[in-house]
Amino acid sequence: MPRSIELEVRDLIKRYSPQISVGPISFEVHEGEFFSLLGPSGCGKTTTLRCIAGFEALSEGSIRLRGDRLDNKPPHRRDVGLVFQNYALFPHLTVFDNVSFGLRLRRLAKPEITDRVGRVLQLIDLVGMESRFPAQLSGGQQQRVAIARSLVLEPRILMFDEPLSNLDFKLRIQMREELRSLQRRLGKTSIYVTHDQSEALALSDRIAVLSHGRIEQIGTPSEIYERPATAFVAEFIGSSNMLRARVVERSDSGTIVQTEAGLQLFCGIEQNGAPGDSGELSVLLRPERIHVEMPGGVSVPGQNRLPARIAHVTYLGEDLHLSLDLVGGERLRASVKNATAARSWASAQPVEIIIEAADLRLLRR
Amino acid sequence: MDGVRSRPIWAFLTGPYALFLLFLLLVPFANVAMYSLHPYSPTKVFLPELTLDNYRKIFDLYYVRLFGRTLRLGLITTAVCVVLGYPLAYFLARARPRVQALGLFLLIMPLMVSAVIRIFGWIVILGRKGLVNQTLVALGLEPIKLLYSETAVVIGLVNIFVPFMVLPIMASIERVPPNLEEAAQNLGANWYRMFRRVILPLSLPGLISGCLLVYSLSISAFVTPALMGNARERMAGQQIYDEVLVSFNWPSASSLALTLVLLTIALMFGALFATRHASRRDIAS
Repeated sequence: MPRSIELEVRDLIKRYSPQISVGPISFEVHEGEFFSLLGPSGCGKTTTLRCIAGFEALSEGSIRLRGDRLDNKPPHRRDVGLVFQNYALFPHLTVFDNVSFGLRLRRLAKPEITDRVGRVLQLIDLVGMESRFPAQLSGGQQQRVAIARSLVLEPRILMFDEPLSNLDFKLRIQMREELRSLQRRLGKTSIYVTHDQSEALALSDRIAVLSHGRIEQIGTPSEIYERPATAFVAEFIGSSNMLRARVVERSDSGTIVQTEAGLQLFCGIEQNGAPGDSGELSVLLRPERIHVEMPGGVSVPGQNRLPARIAHVTYLGEDLHLSLDLVGGERLRASVKNATAARSWASAQPVEIIIEAADLRLLRR
Repeated sequence: MDGVRSRPIWAFLTGPYALFLLFLLLVPFANVAMYSLHPYSPTKVFLPELTLDNYRKIFDLYYVRLFGRTLRLGLITTAVCVVLGYPLAYFLARARPRVQALGLFLLIMPLMVSAVIRIFGWIVILGRKGLVNQTLVALGLEPIKLLYSETAVVIGLVNIFVPFMVLPIMASIERVPPNLEEAAQNLGANWYRMFRRVILPLSLPGLISGCLLVYSLSISAFVTPALMGNARERMAGQQIYDEVLVSFNWPSASSLALTLVLLTIALMFGALFATRHASRRDIAS
């Protein structure tokens, strides 16, 4: 069921100089949706966010919040909450005063302020911290105060600028889950900027992947991961094996491609948006989709079964990463679970690898 | 071992300056304090008996007015420096590094010019037939008497002391991350309310140091009021100078000097206490 559009960014362009610009960028965020802007640094995701918050003026295009033009309003009248990367808490104010900052600007009555701050602190698990100063809080607590400070104003949209990047690994995972459940409970439309693909995948309803100031693909986490639209998306999201190849034969059952090293691979029926026969292609193969067996298995239609040799094994505890040399000289990275069978893999061991035709994806180079 | 570590060798390197302060500041200061407690003698500098007359005299109308004028001009100079200096400090703190370097250079430049030359420049501008009056006459207006007045003294003092206001304020604004301003705006504060609730309280330490610096420098100023003010409306520095070098009344000059120092110290502590109190209440409310 299509939900109503909360925020619409249309042909946003921001020019910093004749050489450096971002856009055109267009996307829509639906009501209650958790939408991520994902990309490497310098891709324009933070610029987009700052344009929505009003800290940067657009060079071209428009931003609408429920149909109303947002881009010509000053930042303090936008009703769009922003949680900053380094939290930007006011160091001279207590937790209570930080959280009530916006409410006091709105000249609410004191009992109402106390009530609303109390409720949001309860929601975010900071009760009892009211009179502390930001310097007396841990990184995770500061993060919560920053979220509470925006949330208490009940903005139409809540935006996050890499909010977890300053936390250590375990806390990051924990805050990620809390953020996710909080957003689901409140149903608050959210825009989340990150360069961390696992954060975007774990949190988002939909993700826009950006590169060099353009949107490469917009889709759900599984669409982005399983059916990347471009080689950039494929390489940026997750880890990947990319082989240069060209089409040898196309039939109703699938496509046969030949890699540069002469390896023939059978790919499944192509999904929408697949490139045509002409031109150079890339074949995408995710490391966890490679099955490794002892040699001597029997080939099944719809599978590629290739002889290989293990170049080396990287032990990661939960997983094993294998480097595999194929006959033609190409090297693939495979990721296997550290189960009983996997413990016997060792360097220089000859093996067979099995790749399902449906797990290969053809991309235009 | 701990005893050795807690007294590193460089601590002894502060010794020369400590000695310098001891012999060239504290000892003469004690000497001045001693003079101020003895009666004046035209022949022997002072008489070997103790008295408080030198301090009692300060409550004479002439001296009360002298100190009143000194403190008032100090306050006006400080206020003008805040009004002119704060925006400049904010601009420089938020400027790009190149603009900041150029701005700082221009700000400091007046301090590199000798006081006499700088004041001569002001005489050319403010004099009876100076630039200001020539402009007024050219516009068909009456010339005004600017030079040798309190106004001229304030102009001269502001000219030298603005950098002492700008630098500490700038340093404290530079320590406020710009995204605090954005956060305040994002929470609904327009520029003025953002300034009042975020920038101003966070730059308060710099503002206080700037005010204390400019105020204590202004009330003890000598050259500028002597050259740009008039002899009747003088400041404490001029009076002390005259009593030391013209009437040779060292005990009286000493009591004036000590009173000035004590007033400065008292006002500084008062200001520090008041602002600390105010900021604490601001946090609590």
